[in-house]
Amino acid sequence: MLKKFIHTILLTSTLLLGTSCNKWLELAPQDGIIRQEFWKTKEDIQSAVVGIYSSMLTDPLVNNLFIWGELRADMVAPGFIIQFNESNLMTNEILSSNPLTSWRPIYKTINYCNTVIEFAPQVEDPTLTTEQRNAYLAEAHAVRGLMYFYLLRIWGEVPLKLTPTSSDATLEQLPKNTKEEVYNQIIADLTFAEANAVSTYEPNNPFSKQDKGRITKYTVNAIQADVYLWNEKYEDCLTACNKIIASGKYRLVPGTTQASWFGDLYLEGNSEEGIFELQFDNQKLNSFFPLFIDANRRFIAADKVLNDMYTIDFGDANNKDIRGDMGSVRASDGAIWKYVGWTGDDARTLNQSYAHWIVYRYADILLMKAEALAWTNRGQEALDIVNTIRTRAHALVTSSQDPDPTSALDVSNYILAERAREFAFEGKRWFDILRHAKRENYKNLSILLDMVVESAPADRQQTILNKFRDFNSHYLPINDYELNTDKNLVQNPFYIK
Amino acid sequence: MKKINFTNSSLFLVVLLLVLLGGCKEEPIVYNTTEDVNITGYFEKYPEEFSEFKKILDITGTSGFLQAYGSYTIFAPNNAGVEAFLKAKGKNSVEELDVEELKNIVKFHLLEDTISTPKFTDGKLPRLTMYGQYLTTGAQNSNNVTRITVNRQANVVKPNVLVGNGVIHVIDNVLQPASQTLAQMLESNPNYSIFTQALKATGLFESLNKIPATNTDVETQWLTVVAESNQTLASKGFNSFDALKARYSHTGNPANPADSLNLFVKYHILKEAKYLADIVSVSSHATLAPLEIVTSSLLGQRVLLNDAVFNGVHEPGVEINRQSSDLSARNGVLHDSQGHFVIKVRKPQRVDWDVAAECSDLAKIPGVLRQRSLGTGAPAYNDSFAPRGFTELNDLRSPGVTGIGYEYGTSGSLYGAAWWGDFLTIPLGGPNRNPWIELRSPMIIKGTYKVWINYRSRAQSANNSQNLNEVSIDGVPLPRLMNFVQGRPSGTEAELEGQGWKAYTAVASSNHSGRLVGTIEIKTTDRHWVKFTTINGTQNTNHLDMIQFIPVSENQLYPKFHMDGRKLGPNGEPMQ
Repeated sequence: MLKKFIHTILLTSTLLLGTSCNKWLELAPQDGIIRQEFWKTKEDIQSAVVGIYSSMLTDPLVNNLFIWGELRADMVAPGFIIQFNESNLMTNEILSSNPLTSWRPIYKTINYCNTVIEFAPQVEDPTLTTEQRNAYLAEAHAVRGLMYFYLLRIWGEVPLKLTPTSSDATLEQLPKNTKEEVYNQIIADLTFAEANAVSTYEPNNPFSKQDKGRITKYTVNAIQADVYLWNEKYEDCLTACNKIIASGKYRLVPGTTQASWFGDLYLEGNSEEGIFELQFDNQKLNSFFPLFIDANRRFIAADKVLNDMYTIDFGDANNKDIRGDMGSVRASDGAIWKYVGWTGDDARTLNQSYAHWIVYRYADILLMKAEALAWTNRGQEALDIVNTIRTRAHALVTSSQDPDPTSALDVSNYILAERAREFAFEGKRWFDILRHAKRENYKNLSILLDMVVESAPADRQQTILNKFRDFNSHYLPINDYELNTDKNLVQNPFYIK
Repeated sequence: MKKINFTNSSLFLVVLLLVLLGGCKEEPIVYNTTEDVNITGYFEKYPEEFSEFKKILDITGTSGFLQAYGSYTIFAPNNAGVEAFLKAKGKNSVEELDVEELKNIVKFHLLEDTISTPKFTDGKLPRLTMYGQYLTTGAQNSNNVTRITVNRQANVVKPNVLVGNGVIHVIDNVLQPASQTLAQMLESNPNYSIFTQALKATGLFESLNKIPATNTDVETQWLTVVAESNQTLASKGFNSFDALKARYSHTGNPANPADSLNLFVKYHILKEAKYLADIVSVSSHATLAPLEIVTSSLLGQRVLLNDAVFNGVHEPGVEINRQSSDLSARNGVLHDSQGHFVIKVRKPQRVDWDVAAECSDLAKIPGVLRQRSLGTGAPAYNDSFAPRGFTELNDLRSPGVTGIGYEYGTSGSLYGAAWWGDFLTIPLGGPNRNPWIELRSPMIIKGTYKVWINYRSRAQSANNSQNLNEVSIDGVPLPRLMNFVQGRPSGTEAELEGQGWKAYTAVASSNHSGRLVGTIEIKTTDRHWVKFTTINGTQNTNHLDMIQFIPVSENQLYPKFHMDGRKLGPNGEPMQ
């Protein structure tokens, strides 16, 4: 009898205690939020969009944008403790095992964009207008367009991944798309973004930081201008540039004194010249301190930057291009100064290393316009723009050229040289050189080869010259990791022999 | 209730365990540390590509050791490459070839080091092949496709295959070692007939005809000839060997080592095997002519020899003809000079070296030289030129503990007497300052010189500062030490010179002194490194104004140097 009682007690208590533990059977995480519960309100979309920008600040994207945009060109020289992979990129000894050939930092941001593009339309929030939703989508499309534009310029042919990788089921093995397909996708993204992006986030605030740090209609126009110029669509480029100029929202930071110019444009950032800047601050530092100013700095400016590009007036120290000594470079030690200058001769400390990464600024629009003008038989207008830029910068007469306005090539070569001075170390030099060299089916390959003759290490100059004669070598190889995980990818033929 | 039978339940448990555990499979034990194949294993894995080369390895008995551990680089011709090679030899299969020849071929494709393509240059690989000749690399472009080439004989079709015991580079042809010595190569080329005759007349032909493996003289095992073709010589009026001999052979016997024709030929032979990539990597090269060097530079794509500036005068050099250069011989490399070049006879000439002005690393900083100070005062040294961390500049080397200041002024006891009103301020002495520093001199013509260090003496703190240095030139220490703190004693000019002191400034100053650190024989006409190594003391205020190399036979005291740059004689007259 007692046994039966005990059995009853046990059975009852098991039933009572066991059923209260239903959370043990719950699959959703207790300490996070899942997708099905996330995409509910417009605030959710906003935080996902902010996530896109924040992903661009995540290392090593900006670090790599500098490396990809500068190392293969001629303005950066190895510093004290340059890394092996970086020096191999500089000498064009690039293997697919080099981690700098990995495109993952870019695709990571693309995945953030894809997530917004896929799920934002599913949000059912009565307070969310179609216009507002489309504006958020425009930001995602614009950033995705920009990221694919980097991929197009660095790797040439890349796979178009347009849906988010949100679960194991959505992992895909994609083949490469052609340059043409990538280009068309960029244009499609930018067209949507232009139609739906806002022109300002704070209509009553002329100094709106959001307008510099988030995508506006004019940011989209800036990317469009760059993309069209890359594909030699000059009229479209001009249209895009003119939209920005006509907005009256931007102007060049005056070069009255070097200190005020440097302070507004680079030290503070978000100047009236800035169009799109990645907003590092004291909460999120950039990675430039060890790169440019630490005792073991990895990169310094090449000798020719001051000597041959900005040139030097040995007679009068005060007569100088404000973009040269103490603008882009500190002459006394060749430090790349743009991102590390603080006050006077003093550099930023590690805690102050939050100079913005300027993706586009007004001077860029003007010079892109000049380049498009040069190639549409309006050389004189182009030269006038170049002179505007040079006057602002107090450029020295020794760095000026006097090209024939009717010769598109001469004018555009001068613009190339001016862009080197204006955008020194802003991650544009290699793309500029490549764009000029590849124009009209590589008619001007000599631009690239001349650069190599000057900047290649003496003992492998001839090898590097011959490598650059193979156009496939202008694009990076697909990293080994990607090749191993995605069997549909085919390596750039230059790198398999 | 039934009583539980203990034995039965145990039996049941045992059976249950057996059933359950029987399901476990035996764990495979891994006997290999890696799945990677070795070189031979790789060839076996891909017979469609390497069956022929594998056959060669089998015939020569090398398959075995290439399967063993080690670190090798092998250039492996694929089947198409071996077939092309056989066809050129007129054979049908590898078995028809001589085994010794095959052995040499295998050795020529094999290096005892792992070298991947990023280490390839325009010139030779950093190691000898096992055959004992260098391989060269390069890149060639045809129809917009660039391939890496090896020895100008084969293209790399698949680089950097990593295997357990090294690296394989797959190539599309069989590499063949050079069969001629430098001497044979020159002799067989009618373009070099005059130069060859000169080689024979001077007896150097034999030196160029030795095979490294059997040449016991290490100095001449590997040589580089920069030959002048008949056209080059003809352009200078030498249409025959006799014309050349008539011009240069002053003793009439070219075989005499002192004969100028003998020296002329020796001056065209550089020590070691140097491809153009090696020649442009360093600025001066020793030749067989005793203590005569050839300097080299790269101007754009042009390789120039002896292009130099002497006392401000540019002497244009001769260009090397790239197309007909970089030819590999059994014992070295042959280059073709487009111009005629000879040893220049120069008399030793004084060098008044203004260290600040002739340091290109400083001169390139705008608005500084002779205009303003840079990094004066102790805290600024780290940010002054040659900042902390710099180990090597163009004309300056240091361990990079501290930077170097440049000071300029127009008056006062520091600058008012210094030449050009300026000097370098070099913190020296460990542990928190550079223990040593090296400066590169302007061109100094070979000869015997007295070396004067001219400085502004200054003790950083009143009582105890010291900075005693040993001065050495290209590693050869000079006999007398110098102390940046110590000024010259009093006495007449002659008395002071006898003790190795002088006043070197035109504006009288008891603080600016010249110190004779010794006499040195400069053996080669070249730029030399002057090193200051601190032996005792440490301080920042080491103000180095100039260094003088004055030929022993010349006046050591004049000219003196004015702060406005002039050089003045004993009565204030301008002097050169």
